[in-house]
Amino acid sequence: MSLRFLDLARPSRQHWLGYLLLLPAVALVALIIVYPLFVSLDLSFQKIGMATLSAPRKPFTLENYHKLFASPDFWNSCWVTIKLVVVVSAACFAVGLGTALLVNNRFKGRTLARLFVALPWAVPEVIAVVIFAWIFDSSFGLMNWLFIKLGITSQMINWFSEPTAAFWVVAVTMIWKGYPFVSIMTLAGLQSIPEDFYNAAKVDGANAFQRFWYITIPVLMSVLGVTSVLVVLWVFRDFSIIKVLTDGGPLKATQTLSIMTYDQAFGFFNMGYASAIGIVTLVLCVVASLLMLGRKSQAMY
Amino acid sequence: MKTIGKYAVAATVTAMLACAASAAPASAEVLKFVSWQKDEKGIGDWWGSVIKEWEAKHPGNTIEWTKVERSAYSDTMTTLFAGGTPPDIVHLASFEFQTFANNGWLEDLGPWVEKAGLELDGWSGQDICNFQDTTVCIMMLYYGTIFGYNEEMLKQAGVDVPTNYEEFLAAARATTKDLNGDGIVDQFGTGHETKGGGGQYIAEMASYLFDAGARFTNAEGEVTIDTPEMVEGLTRWKTVVKENLTPRDLSAGEVRKLFADGKIALKVDGPWIYSIMQQGAAKDKLKLASVPFDPPLGGSSNILAMPSEISEEKKQLVWDFIAIATSDKFQTSFATLAASTPPSPRADLTEAKAQIPHFHLMAQSQKAAAEHKIDRIPIGLEIQFNEFSKMIQEEAQRMIIEDLDPAAVAKTMHEKAEALQ
Repeated sequence: MSLRFLDLARPSRQHWLGYLLLLPAVALVALIIVYPLFVSLDLSFQKIGMATLSAPRKPFTLENYHKLFASPDFWNSCWVTIKLVVVVSAACFAVGLGTALLVNNRFKGRTLARLFVALPWAVPEVIAVVIFAWIFDSSFGLMNWLFIKLGITSQMINWFSEPTAAFWVVAVTMIWKGYPFVSIMTLAGLQSIPEDFYNAAKVDGANAFQRFWYITIPVLMSVLGVTSVLVVLWVFRDFSIIKVLTDGGPLKATQTLSIMTYDQAFGFFNMGYASAIGIVTLVLCVVASLLMLGRKSQAMY
Repeated sequence: MKTIGKYAVAATVTAMLACAASAAPASAEVLKFVSWQKDEKGIGDWWGSVIKEWEAKHPGNTIEWTKVERSAYSDTMTTLFAGGTPPDIVHLASFEFQTFANNGWLEDLGPWVEKAGLELDGWSGQDICNFQDTTVCIMMLYYGTIFGYNEEMLKQAGVDVPTNYEEFLAAARATTKDLNGDGIVDQFGTGHETKGGGGQYIAEMASYLFDAGARFTNAEGEVTIDTPEMVEGLTRWKTVVKENLTPRDLSAGEVRKLFADGKIALKVDGPWIYSIMQQGAAKDKLKLASVPFDPPLGGSSNILAMPSEISEEKKQLVWDFIAIATSDKFQTSFATLAASTPPSPRADLTEAKAQIPHFHLMAQSQKAAAEHKIDRIPIGLEIQFNEFSKMIQEEAQRMIIEDLDPAAVAKTMHEKAEALQ
């Protein structure tokens, strides 16, 4: 009886085999994603400095969230994160889409052009940051030399000591590192559009802009939707570029939520407070993703 | 006879079990030691010699020495302690151990010191290890700064080697130059890191502040920032940075390299500057002298400690390691191998003085700084030091960026420091 019950070859039991095969992966995901998430959520409701797994749980409190929402630093970090998300995502899409359309055309040296477009994506993030740190070095950097030679400025710009300049240095570095992803995804999307669509539109008298607006963009929307979610999430959580370039400074001009979380956790050892920031960041990311995916599905061609 | 035989067998088995029980941990013990100094020339060699001595004294036991980069050190140690797997030999920077001690993660070394009869009177910087009335660590380096200068640059600018702040400022101004007239300064009077973390930023400012008579807190731990001395110190810092007498936004390592390569005229730094000077393009032009600030900046650097939650057997082994590192023999070899001033007053510095021409400068500076109890970590703000230093850095940056009055900045710093306590 029991053997028949466990007979996975029976048609009525075959779906059990699927669940059984999925079990190791689900267990692994639960262990490395769900468990830390739960620990983080739990810590966010405790007034705790350094967290120790073996230590007894501290009393439940909402103090971390009260402190967080009353903190000007938190709102400043939200503002910096939103600014960075908007600027970097918009620029990545503009440059990425532009370069994808460019290298989708047939011309001599197209393979080389595609290679150059994708190159920043292949460069490790830390190396890219070191290159940009040198380009924007306030005393010996290429950008200052160029600006002075071109007469754009008469004195050195302290790129990392001026809040506005530092923000743009971070944004430019992220755009350079991020646009190839949009470009590659878009290029893949462009290559899946049947040529017949454009030929039919040409017969109907549509000009280049109309073909782009009424054929290319709608067909690409599904690709752009997923890409936008991934790019926004990348900007939201990116840590290394800002950490190495500016460490969130000067005057918190580049302090995003991820930098604030790190500082509170490993700089000031406020694990409970840092967990609260992490949870709020997670909620913001989920909301942003849902909104974007919702928009995408409505805008499908 | 049969009974005797039974007893003999039982005794043999018991003896074998006892031997196995006592020998097993002794032969299999591996102490974990994490440090950022593993591959550092000089100091790394010294740690290696301490490990070798410990292993020779504990046959069969080993020390597993792992390097973790300084930039990731605090995070790594926090994670190890939080996860319940701390290294057995705890090596921490002197500005970060307080948080670990405050969490109860570090053993009180007082009884161990007493039992071993380790005399810590006159041990430079050891006061800092006395945390909340317990000895939570042993200071491994308390250094005094030395002053490097580019002789050729000073000669070309027609200035003498500075001996006080006013002369230092005049020399820095005279040696900051745009050599090829392209509008870009190519040579700087002095060099400071203005980009890194708060702790380093405070260390960079500290010479100007201490020379002006300013202190962040008094001996009782009360905040003393809103004073005329601090206003003067902040004014000096603002002058040096605002007038671009130092390159901006570089890391400490980059600034040292520029000095070694002849792009910076004057540099106040720790004992490690000498080995960097020796590798630079301008090494023949670089000289050392007494620091032109009084008192010279000194500071605690790193400590040895023991985790509180390891077995008693392991604690004994860790203490043996600490005992070797703090012995007269190894404190003496610290001076020659690490080319630095050992904290022990009993170290024999004769060989180090004979080998290292500027050793007397380091020793003088260390002594003067220790006498004035100079340290970048203010009393009463040890646990909050990271937040405190970040606040000081931000307010000092704000003063420079927004061209604020140093008096107003001192007042703001004072209020924020009090709020942190």
